[in-house]
Amino acid sequence: MKAANWARRMPVLVLIALGVSAASAAWAHHSFAMYDNEHQIKLKGKVTDFQWTNPHVYIELDGVDQYGESKDVKSWVIECANPGILDRIGWKFNMIHKGDEITAIVAPLRSGEPGALLKLVTLADGKQFGNGAPAGPALIQ
Amino acid sequence: MAAAALAVSLIVAPSAQAQAQSTPAQAPNAKTQEPAKAAPKLAGKPDFTGVWDRAPPPVQPNPRTASGSPASPNGPQFAGAAPPIKPEFKAAYDAEVKRLADAEQRGEPTTSQNTMCLPQGMPAMMLAIFPMEVVQTPKQVTIIEEAFTQIRRLYIGEDPPQVEDAEPGFYGHTGAKWDGDTLVAETVGIKTNVLYRNVPHSENLRIHERLKMIDADHFEDEITYTDPQYLTGPWTWKWAYQRRNGYKMLEYVCEDNREFADPVTGQQRMRFKTKTDNKQ
Repeated sequence: MKAANWARRMPVLVLIALGVSAASAAWAHHSFAMYDNEHQIKLKGKVTDFQWTNPHVYIELDGVDQYGESKDVKSWVIECANPGILDRIGWKFNMIHKGDEITAIVAPLRSGEPGALLKLVTLADGKQFGNGAPAGPALIQ
Repeated sequence: MAAAALAVSLIVAPSAQAQAQSTPAQAPNAKTQEPAKAAPKLAGKPDFTGVWDRAPPPVQPNPRTASGSPASPNGPQFAGAAPPIKPEFKAAYDAEVKRLADAEQRGEPTTSQNTMCLPQGMPAMMLAIFPMEVVQTPKQVTIIEEAFTQIRRLYIGEDPPQVEDAEPGFYGHTGAKWDGDTLVAETVGIKTNVLYRNVPHSENLRIHERLKMIDADHFEDEITYTDPQYLTGPWTWKWAYQRRNGYKMLEYVCEDNREFADPVTGQQRMRFKTKTDNKQ
């Protein structure tokens, strides 16, 4: 890995380490197998809703796949862990707002529908947050 | 590696500090290796009061590895021996476990009672997938699991009810007695559709527990599952817990699960609208 890449990934590694160590119990309440972890994508767009609920938090996003061929905007539903897991790794219930420009690395649904599991979100101010140990790390940049 | 190490040290330091501050009554044991502090007492017996995490936590690796996903009955969080299922029920049990694991491997997971926002019930709530609070008085131990706000009550000095008098539920009815410094609990009245690791059970299921403080910040629960109808003998395993200082339990209302069971295939799918869909 080149030095520049390494430096860019540092915050990600810190967050992952935090997530693993701080998670009281890294256990999800359901299977994540419906998401394609091996073919992660990077979505960029505008938040249309941020739903802070159990058993999952959801980010709704009108976004474009940054590395995809199509530049069409699609309405995505991005599943996050639950409020407890996210609180314990430093998220806050009001840290994302409707209209925010964000970037999200996600594992998309295998079905091809515009739904996904969050791996790493970058907020408008550049802060990055993982999605807790059960969801696993981002495998792309 | 450096970043990861830094992150870990940042976490360990405040936690050690918090533990030191929380036990001012203990005599300092400078210079020598500090021995484990004794468990706190209540009315002369060990006091389990506090917030606890499973230790080690029930961590799962990549969900698609052969060792199973979090929802899979073979998942690594289910430590302990295989259930001693009677031969006449074993084939059906094995087939069901295989069906679930195969679906998982294909990326077409089936749903579970969790998908329907139902609590885990006993004994699975003692997995403590999220923090677990224990509140003890001389006559009662109350256990609250953050996930699904599951609550059970252990009545000290009482026997559990007779099975025919035990209204079936997710957590059952628990009587408990002290055996020296070990709290021995007996639970009956678990609904026959509340399953742990997909193991079938009858209304005669009994869950026997031995709860024991190891030191001030650790306790263990040895769980023995007996059911003369489905099991050849007792099925026993042990879970350990570590104190989580200073944590305030969060509420957990299973409000809007967007995973649902496809009515045709039974597979887990995602719903794209909110439950109420009252936007705009």
